[in-house]
Amino acid sequence: MIANEKAISVTGLSKRYGKEGLAVDGIDFSIQRNTIYALLGPNGAGKTTTISMLTTLVAPTSGRAEVVGFDVVQKAAQVRQRIGVTFQEIILDPDLTGRESLNFHARLYGIGKNERLAKIDELLSLLELEEAADRRTNTYSGGMKRRLELARGLLTDPEILFLDEPTQGLDPQNRANIWEYIRELKENSNMTLLLTTHYMEEAEALADRVGIMDRGKIVVEGAPRELIDQMGADNIRIMGRGNPNSFSERVRNLSYVESFNSANGIIQIGVDSGNRRLVEIVETAIYSGYKIEDISVAKPGLGDVFLKYTGRQLRDR
Amino acid sequence: MKAAILIWQKQLRKALVHPEEIVGMLIQPILWVILFGVGMRSMMGATAPDSGSDYMTFIVPGIVALTAVSGAIAGGSTWLNERIIGIVKEYLAAPIPRLSILTGNAAGIVTKVLIQSVIIFIVGLLMGAQINANPLGWFGGLVLIAGYGIGFSGFALGVASSTDSSEGYHMMIFLLQLPLLFLSNSLYPLETLPVWMRIGAYINPTTYVVTGLRQTTLELPPAMGSMTNIPVILCYLVSAGFAALGMYAALKAFKRAIS
Repeated sequence: MIANEKAISVTGLSKRYGKEGLAVDGIDFSIQRNTIYALLGPNGAGKTTTISMLTTLVAPTSGRAEVVGFDVVQKAAQVRQRIGVTFQEIILDPDLTGRESLNFHARLYGIGKNERLAKIDELLSLLELEEAADRRTNTYSGGMKRRLELARGLLTDPEILFLDEPTQGLDPQNRANIWEYIRELKENSNMTLLLTTHYMEEAEALADRVGIMDRGKIVVEGAPRELIDQMGADNIRIMGRGNPNSFSERVRNLSYVESFNSANGIIQIGVDSGNRRLVEIVETAIYSGYKIEDISVAKPGLGDVFLKYTGRQLRDR
Repeated sequence: MKAAILIWQKQLRKALVHPEEIVGMLIQPILWVILFGVGMRSMMGATAPDSGSDYMTFIVPGIVALTAVSGAIAGGSTWLNERIIGIVKEYLAAPIPRLSILTGNAAGIVTKVLIQSVIIFIVGLLMGAQINANPLGWFGGLVLIAGYGIGFSGFALGVASSTDSSEGYHMMIFLLQLPLLFLSNSLYPLETLPVWMRIGAYINPTTYVVTGLRQTTLELPPAMGSMTNIPVILCYLVSAGFAALGMYAALKAFKRAIS
């Protein structure tokens, strides 16, 4: 394999579900090998449908997608052989033990007995599930179930691992643990990871690149730091009443304003230093006849990027 | 094939986890023979004094068919549950043929049905049914019932692939189950039925499987409508054809559900 070959490349990919309309609407993106790519967006943005198409579970309505160089429709069997997936819902069989679940999964992929048993032991140890391994999975906590699913995804040594909402429903400590495993994976292997999340801090913490998804489209894409830096060093967020036009015109002309965005009654102003410029921004609003009802200053994050490109807030939960 | 065997093993492994399922599975056929068989025999004995013990013999293959249908319905229900929980996604993302997922499941269902069938034969024998002692006869009967079980499992899996509602599944299956069981010679001889029902019975695979079972597993052709005019080879062919048709229907419904 060529080192800089794309792990995933997607062009014009769409999925229409009956009368419900386009779940995914002509998206394009590509992922370099040995990187972590996050699709970030609210529930219903089309992230899971995208993953379902890339993992050959659902056939695209139009467009193309190649995973490790194989077309997901024409060469589905080759794709399946080379990927690992953990799904958004926990899909462990409650009647099997953790070890049995892993053993069954490895056998589905035709992994030989010795290799299988060694790999299972290794993963149980890596994900700290040794003690629970011979208990039925219906006795596991949420965090343990997620770890077992991660182990299952890794069992077949996939070239690409798909993680659909890998920390959904977990408490902060368990979430931090899963992040740690994911980081270690990338460090210690040549694996490429595609994860979806609606937690912006998850995308910030893990991803080399992030695609922000909303209503079936990727609205913006880039390295998290790059996207955030475009917002300015600090972000002043204003909600208010009155006509913002003259206010926005004046603000845009201020020398220290690095970005300006207004949508759905929320104004975002990127400035070099929030605390220093706050007073002047408020004065400008008063002078322009714009009545401020709420104002906040914060370091910008991917949530602000999401707001900028969609005009809506990405709720954390 | 390998994947189908693996899924078959998993289904059986799962059954072993629940002792109540095993106990129920073993007791259910005994109850059928004792409660239904003996009850019906008494009624037949009262109306036609010579036919009582023949009726027990007559009805054992019918109870086997009924058990196969119940087993398939339960199996379809499990499959629906696995689809709703999402367990099926693990199979779908794996490099295995779609058909093997279904055949593995059907094989799991039929294994349980075959065990139950043997119990029915034994209990029937104890209750006075004139069952063949020839192991080849029993083997032939099990082959027939396996084909029938795979066929009905296929339809159950197909229906379970076409709906997301447990209620919907059971209603649909009910519509399939009733004519399949009662529009046949499994519980009563065809000669006593009106012509339209007899015609229905002749296009129903259950009739052929039950007739085949009577010819292979029973000691004497019973007095009441053995339908020995249907050659046993035709019974095997219909059973095999029904199995193929059921699996085809299951695959079609499953592929439509995931497209």
